Amino acid sequence: MAIFGPRANLLMNATLIGAVGLGACLLLAVWVVPVIGYNTQERFAPEQPIPFSHNHHVSGLGLDCRYCHTMVEKSSSAGMPSTAICMTCHSQVWTNAAMLRPDQQSLAEKVPLRWTRVYTLPDYVFFDHSIHIAKGVGCTECHGQIGDMDLTWKATTLYMSWCLSCHRDPAPRLRPRDEVFNPHWRRTPSTASGDTLMAQYNVRTAHLSDCGICHR
Amino acid sequence: MTQPARTYWRSLEELAEMPEFAALVERELPRFRDVVNAFDRRRFLQLMAASMALGGLSACGTEPNPRQLVPYVQEPANVIPGRNRYYATATTQDGYATGVLIAHQMARPIKVEGNPDHPASLGGASAIMQASILEFYDPRRAQTLVGGGEIATWEGFVAALHDRRNALLSRKGDGLRVLTGAVTSPFLAAQLARLQQQFPAMRWHQWQPLHRDNELAAAQSSFGRPVGRTFDLSAADRIFGIESDLIAATPGWLAYARAFAAKRRPAETGGEMSRAYAIESTPTLLGAKADHRLGLRPDEIEASLRYLAGLLGAGPQEWAQQDNAQAAWLKAAADDLAQHKGNALVHAGREQSATVHVLVDAINGALGAFGKTVRLVAPVEASAGAKAQSLSELVGDMRSGKVDTLLVLGANPVYDAPADLDFAAALRRVPFSVSLALYDDETALASTWRLPAAHEYEIWSDARAFDGTITIQQPQARPLYGGHSAHQVLGILLGGGSGDDHTLLREYWQQRAQQENRGDFAAFWHDAVRGGVVPNTAEPPISATPRGDAVTGLPSPMAPANGIRALFRPDEGTWDGRYAHNPWLLEMPRTFTRLTWDNAALIAPGTAKRLGLATHDLVEISVNEVKLTVPVYVLPGQAPDCMTLPLGWGRAAGGLGAGVGFDVYRLRRAADPWIAEIASVRKTGEVDRLATIQGQDRVLGRDLVREATLETFKNDPGSIVKKEKPASLYPPFEYPDRAWAMAIDLNSCIGCQACTIACQAENNVPVVGKDQVLAERIMHWLRIDRYYSGPPEAPTVAFEPMPCMHCENAPCEVVCPVHATVHDHEGLNVMVYNRCVGTRFCSNNCPYKVRRFNFYPYTSQNNRPAQSWNPQVSVRDRGVMEKCTYCIQRIRTTQIAANRDDRPLRDGEVVTACQQSCPTQAIIFGDRNDRESAVAKRKATPIDFVLLEELNTRPRTSYSALIRNPNPAIKGNQS
Repeated sequence: MAIFGPRANLLMNATLIGAVGLGACLLLAVWVVPVIGYNTQERFAPEQPIPFSHNHHVSGLGLDCRYCHTMVEKSSSAGMPSTAICMTCHSQVWTNAAMLRPDQQSLAEKVPLRWTRVYTLPDYVFFDHSIHIAKGVGCTECHGQIGDMDLTWKATTLYMSWCLSCHRDPAPRLRPRDEVFNPHWRRTPSTASGDTLMAQYNVRTAHLSDCGICHR
Repeated sequence: MTQPARTYWRSLEELAEMPEFAALVERELPRFRDVVNAFDRRRFLQLMAASMALGGLSACGTEPNPRQLVPYVQEPANVIPGRNRYYATATTQDGYATGVLIAHQMARPIKVEGNPDHPASLGGASAIMQASILEFYDPRRAQTLVGGGEIATWEGFVAALHDRRNALLSRKGDGLRVLTGAVTSPFLAAQLARLQQQFPAMRWHQWQPLHRDNELAAAQSSFGRPVGRTFDLSAADRIFGIESDLIAATPGWLAYARAFAAKRRPAETGGEMSRAYAIESTPTLLGAKADHRLGLRPDEIEASLRYLAGLLGAGPQEWAQQDNAQAAWLKAAADDLAQHKGNALVHAGREQSATVHVLVDAINGALGAFGKTVRLVAPVEASAGAKAQSLSELVGDMRSGKVDTLLVLGANPVYDAPADLDFAAALRRVPFSVSLALYDDETALASTWRLPAAHEYEIWSDARAFDGTITIQQPQARPLYGGHSAHQVLGILLGGGSGDDHTLLREYWQQRAQQENRGDFAAFWHDAVRGGVVPNTAEPPISATPRGDAVTGLPSPMAPANGIRALFRPDEGTWDGRYAHNPWLLEMPRTFTRLTWDNAALIAPGTAKRLGLATHDLVEISVNEVKLTVPVYVLPGQAPDCMTLPLGWGRAAGGLGAGVGFDVYRLRRAADPWIAEIASVRKTGEVDRLATIQGQDRVLGRDLVREATLETFKNDPGSIVKKEKPASLYPPFEYPDRAWAMAIDLNSCIGCQACTIACQAENNVPVVGKDQVLAERIMHWLRIDRYYSGPPEAPTVAFEPMPCMHCENAPCEVVCPVHATVHDHEGLNVMVYNRCVGTRFCSNNCPYKVRRFNFYPYTSQNNRPAQSWNPQVSVRDRGVMEKCTYCIQRIRTTQIAANRDDRPLRDGEVVTACQQSCPTQAIIFGDRNDRESAVAKRKATPIDFVLLEELNTRPRTSYSALIRNPNPAIKGNQS
């Protein structure tokens, strides 16, 4: 009597293939799942109370970032525009648009709008907008082609490795200070090199990857 | 290991090297002795099963959506998210104001700092002031207005008071009484004066349990009128304290402590140093800092002071002829004081008898202190009457039915009045009583109307400091729990309707500014409110000398007690009981006992031995025919035959403090508020485990404190601290850019605990509770270790603040398996909470024991609103190690601000929380690489040393050795 039946080979092969498959799935789960867009919410535009378009306001009308994000040069937080800021224009234009109803309601009832965050950092990360602006890091370095977005979506993973990639080597991401808020800035041959700007803005990299720079 | 120059010990058990103590140290894990026996295997399995079964429930319920972004509707001017804005106001204690600046983050008050422009603060802030922010947010504060046992409204109360007012007007206010604490507020005083005009038969009474009636009575007999005394310690080369609270609690003590410490840093003043003497029955901060200290019974104190007065010509010659066991000591001190006439100062604590205070005035007169080290000023209080008498009269009238309307504004006599008055019984005879209180306290619950009071940070008011300087208090927020102020209640009674306190106060000041010719009112008001000080309001000094006949008319000397005397003393944290609901103050280790969450009867080691008592024993004492069961704490340095009983505990109602500790007010009598004979002490045989942190770490013969005499410092400063070049096989790590470092001066540290609480407030350090303290899990990032040396009956005390040392060769870092604690390029030992997996290896390997572990989710268990935490600092959860960060959030925000403007960081720009609050500037922080920085200069002095240098950890925190200035004429009695 044969020890192994006719189906033994099949079982063996199935087991081997299954084990390899399981291993591959595990590797996928460990290496790939964390970085796929579904998980990082990269390129994901959450639903907002008002379908605000940066493309229209920035690229179309030419508004400066700081018109709405008033705190970005002074504070850790860029500042979300208050209802009153929206209403400086929208009390005059598109006053009847149904799209802007929540805005008008907010002003009338003195109840703030509730936007959904696109960029969220954990509580133990202390990011400061103002210092990045002062050192010549343009808005688009982190926020992508924000000026061309119809709905706002997240342009990066916000993973620590992504933060560190720049903190370890900021030079390629720096630009002249007066171009920081330009959503369509491109490096040209006449632009000062990253290293020149590093020296000019006193950016020293020795400390930039210290834990205590962001974690307190 | 170098041999210590003298033997230091932290607890009596350690000194005695009792076998139990040795066993405790020997046990592998002493920290777990409370935990491992907490439940058995069966119970453990039950709990585990239950937690598994219920685990899913945690997913239920709604949480606020963290992904929401909520902008303003209309943004307020000048609010910058992430940046502190400061608003000036004042906190008051017993009526006296200390100026503060309150840090706001997006309009939320988060931290209290001292106002550098205010004379009572000079930038320092006490532990109690720091903790006031937690009281402000306390959700246990009174929130419900109750009238006649039913929930009522403010409008309902206003209507009821209006009716009452009409009735009172018809009889000119007969039967109307107002009871307040000590009042320094000019506006409240003006309101009360107007009330007196409207209701001529009304009477205003004052009560506070920790009153200064004895000082006041002494002023009356010494100067013939009530005067206040303020002190100039910058001129005082010799200080003699009689159980003095000069650098601990007296109004203005923060400023006094600063001036005191400034004269005791010989390394910075070129070898100059003041000398302090202290005689006391129970240890005080001044006694701990004194170069010579005697622990004396109360009767001995009085006798010694008479002796001293006789020697100095402040009393009859024959006083100096009497026998005194301490004659040699006192003679030497008297000679020293006499040699420094004009630069000497004698001060007695508020608990001393009127006799002692009269003697102090006479001695100060003989030493020419008036006008130099002691300034007399008109009383700062609006009505400087004796509080005990005022309350007695009120209670007498209440009892005889003469009082039908009683307004209690900010006092709690049902709890803290002398027991023989029985205020509660008298209050039941008053048909209409109103209590305005911050908590639903004992008096509020016994009154017919109880009104939630607004916190000091929620109202407009004014208050005066010890020297008379007025601060206009501005609210930091609208009342969180709907409270009201005393001004509003009095405003209604004055017929002004329900006016808001801002309008009332502004009207008063408008008039006053006009009378005082202060120019444009709007500008004056703006500057006064903004700066926190009304200019030129300090009281001018009065010139007066004590009358010669004051000492001759003194009563006969106090006789020695037959048995043991009870001394009623304020508590460092709860004060008179008003702060008994503040968790920070309840868990603050007391300076000498290192006790938390309890008060205890303090007795001397010798007395304890005689009575067969030990720490933790419960005894039943009988005082004034009242019996009370109290735990005993054997305190080195306590005078024999007296038992100190800290007031302010054992609250019956209110908030967190209800039922914590024992209530000493039950023993107190109006006639003798500070002292009483104990008729009997009976050991009950039971034991109450006191949560003292003193024995939790041991000295074990290590050389942790360096001290020397001024003489040694002058002759051979190099011998005090032996500096050894640490050897290493590896090249040193370079810090070319900046090297953050801290220098702590042991001469300046007075052990007041302000830094501990400032750190707790700044760094979101949680409170853990008594059980956890007993399990050695207290969380303070900065503790003040207290070391004794010498005999237990009369030890010398040294205080040593212990933050993280930020070792350059940090032992914690090499044992962390996940790199959760690492060094940065400026030398900070950084703790990365989100990496920590809770192995606690780092804590085990830390030779300084400054790391703290979250065994439970303490921060979420702490019942405090989310907005009260400092948003600049991570709130740590269970399973995470934490420790002092040198206030990295302050370093970063200051660095970012400087970098943003492309300018270098200035020395002194980064100030740690402990440094900022320290009244004596004992702590300096800065860049060690900058030769001109204050920290580098202090570290360059010859007396700078680091702890456990032999371990080669190279700490960034260093200490200046303790220098004492003993009197060469006093031999072998340097204690």
